[in-house]
Amino acid sequence: MNSATADAAITRWTGDAMQSRLRRRYRSERNFKLLGFGAVGLSLAFLAFLLGTMLWQGVGGLSLDFLRASDSTDPAMAGVWGALKGSFLTILVTMALAFPIGVLSAIYLEEFAARNRWTDIIEVSINNLAAVPSIIFGLLGLAVFLNFMHLPRSAPLVGGLTLALMTMPVIVIAGRNAITSVPPSIREAALGVGASKMQVVFHHVLPLALPGILTGTIIGMARALGETAPLLMIGMRAFIAVPPSGITEPATVLPVQIFLWSDEVDRSFVEKTSAAIIVLLVFMLLMNALAIYLRNRFEQRW
Amino acid sequence: MTLGIAFIGILLIALAVGGIAFAGAGRLRSSGRLHSLPTYHALHATIWVLAPALLVLAAWAPMQTRLVNEAVLSSPEGQALPKFEMQRDTILAEARQIAHREIEAGFNPESTALAPRVLEAEESYAGIGGIAAILIALGAGGLLVLRRRDREFRARTSVERWMMGLLIGASLIAIFTTLGIVLSLLFESVRFFQLVPATDFLFGLTWSPQMAIRADQAGSSGAFGSIPLFWGTILIGAIIAMIVAIPLGLMSAIYLTQYAAPKARSVIKPLLEILAGVPTVVYGYFAALTVAPWVRELGISLGISSASSESALAAGLVMGIMIIPFVSSMADDSIAAVPAAMRDGSFALGATRSETIRKVLLPAALPGVVGGILLAVSRAIGETMIVVMAAGLAANLTANPFESVTTVTVQIVQLLTGDQEFDSAKTLAAFALGLVLFLITLVLNLIALSVVRRYREAYE
Repeated sequence: MNSATADAAITRWTGDAMQSRLRRRYRSERNFKLLGFGAVGLSLAFLAFLLGTMLWQGVGGLSLDFLRASDSTDPAMAGVWGALKGSFLTILVTMALAFPIGVLSAIYLEEFAARNRWTDIIEVSINNLAAVPSIIFGLLGLAVFLNFMHLPRSAPLVGGLTLALMTMPVIVIAGRNAITSVPPSIREAALGVGASKMQVVFHHVLPLALPGILTGTIIGMARALGETAPLLMIGMRAFIAVPPSGITEPATVLPVQIFLWSDEVDRSFVEKTSAAIIVLLVFMLLMNALAIYLRNRFEQRW
Repeated sequence: MTLGIAFIGILLIALAVGGIAFAGAGRLRSSGRLHSLPTYHALHATIWVLAPALLVLAAWAPMQTRLVNEAVLSSPEGQALPKFEMQRDTILAEARQIAHREIEAGFNPESTALAPRVLEAEESYAGIGGIAAILIALGAGGLLVLRRRDREFRARTSVERWMMGLLIGASLIAIFTTLGIVLSLLFESVRFFQLVPATDFLFGLTWSPQMAIRADQAGSSGAFGSIPLFWGTILIGAIIAMIVAIPLGLMSAIYLTQYAAPKARSVIKPLLEILAGVPTVVYGYFAALTVAPWVRELGISLGISSASSESALAAGLVMGIMIIPFVSSMADDSIAAVPAAMRDGSFALGATRSETIRKVLLPAALPGVVGGILLAVSRAIGETMIVVMAAGLAANLTANPFESVTTVTVQIVQLLTGDQEFDSAKTLAAFALGLVLFLITLVLNLIALSVVRRYREAYE
């Protein structure tokens, strides 16, 4: 009886105890929401600060001469053309290898593979490769491509091969997602009018899945473009005053050039480094914008 | 003749043979039903001309590069080159460019004299390989043209068998890559452990791989105790970075999934993802140039005299920022996977939003969040450029975040970018470190993936 009246006093909405409890709960609710907002705000502030610092430091170093010149020991003469060309050649090799291999294995795994132990091993390998640290791929490139196969050191060919192995799992995963999202009715209709399994896949499923695959590929390529560590391992850090003319010539790439310049003692390289970072970020931004455009332009909802 | 010309020749032969097959099949078709479309007849012929000839060419190209290099190096001009490999390779490459008239003169004067030798050797070797490949293409093409095709010939089946082979081959590359990583790391590590006992490597407390200058000098083998490296890796990647990334990432995910309006979410989420897309070398530069001096001043103002300009704190902080979107998107997924009924039930009992999140959603999503954090740790400890540029080289065994520590990845880069011969204990040590790093990240990933998967199944 006594406790019942006490409970009633506590649970009465207009009572002081209840009011103060409610105030406390509303306060903690507000604080929690502010905490979340603060976390997002802080993260975005870091991003803004990072990009702002680079812009502020590097914008003065950007000029046509900077884009046209190659590396030099004299900071006033140094430019990014050699590194850009090296990056371009390396990405070209990566693209030429990783895209077909990635798409073909995505097709095989999604459309043809029987569910057995071999398929499981392939799947586990691909998922693991996607999470292996990039520097390990550098060690692989060094041991296999340079010391075992004796391919030319510092060359875009070797860099591209190494990055292709690294990017391939990303493309496979994106490709499989794109292929599964093509509805089965498309396949059944094609089979129904007499297409072979191979014709179904290459004439109907693949064209419909292609925008999704391309989006994933471009994002993978953008990541490969910004990769530094594996390329350091295979020696793409040589001083290159002459832009490479082919995929077997010694070359360096833009991120490695940034790393090398950041090590220079001469303070005037600070501006050059930040300017090179701006160039790199602009390229990555363009690639990501292209990926988003492709996704929005061609994405189909079934 | 160069291999390029041989390649074009083979392509032309293949196209011609394909065209003949197409025309032949077309004639057959006009007089009745064909098993395969003329396109498949053409493809079949083209593949059979291209595949063997290109295989020969592909096998020849790397061999030729080596043969040319050997021929050039054994010529009197080549003998005079410096012995240091990287420099020699640069000169050879310049000679090649001069020989191909891509540049007028090289950075190194020796290359001009070498150019004619390169041209000579290339011409003679390319002739052999190119002519062999073209003969094979012609032979295959001749056979295909001479053999008459009948209406029942199953060109499509044959072409599709080739394509199937291609598909299987492509998906096997993933296995070969994994095998290649494991074998190359194992092979070099075994050689390292023949020089340095595994127990010294795994449990030793001193890391100083500096070798004596001459190999025959006493005590030339340095100390390879890897404990300080692993401690540094854990301090930066698993402790400092996670102290930054877990609260920020988790709270961002909670805010974005539970509080933010859909429109705000669709803008903020991609912005956060940019943090993950910024190249790591940019983060490294930012950490070394902007964050590290601040951290040092902070340390000094706190009265820590040992605060150095390269500190664990600077590298860890920046790495934590880089990991935020990763933690956030993993937490996002696992919170979204909690059934709506649980959330609605909590609301119906009168719980506020934050109470629901703290008492219902987070405990239910915990396995997924933990899995995501494990994946984030595995990414952080494999991260290279930030620590190379901001963490330093001194292998200190210290818990003071203002001091310089070094990590596994920093040492791998350090050991392999010097001008070392490949067989020294120093370079082999990099592979042993790589092996341990690979195993740790592998185990972390496997645990994380299985935790996440089991948790997903529980709610499906």
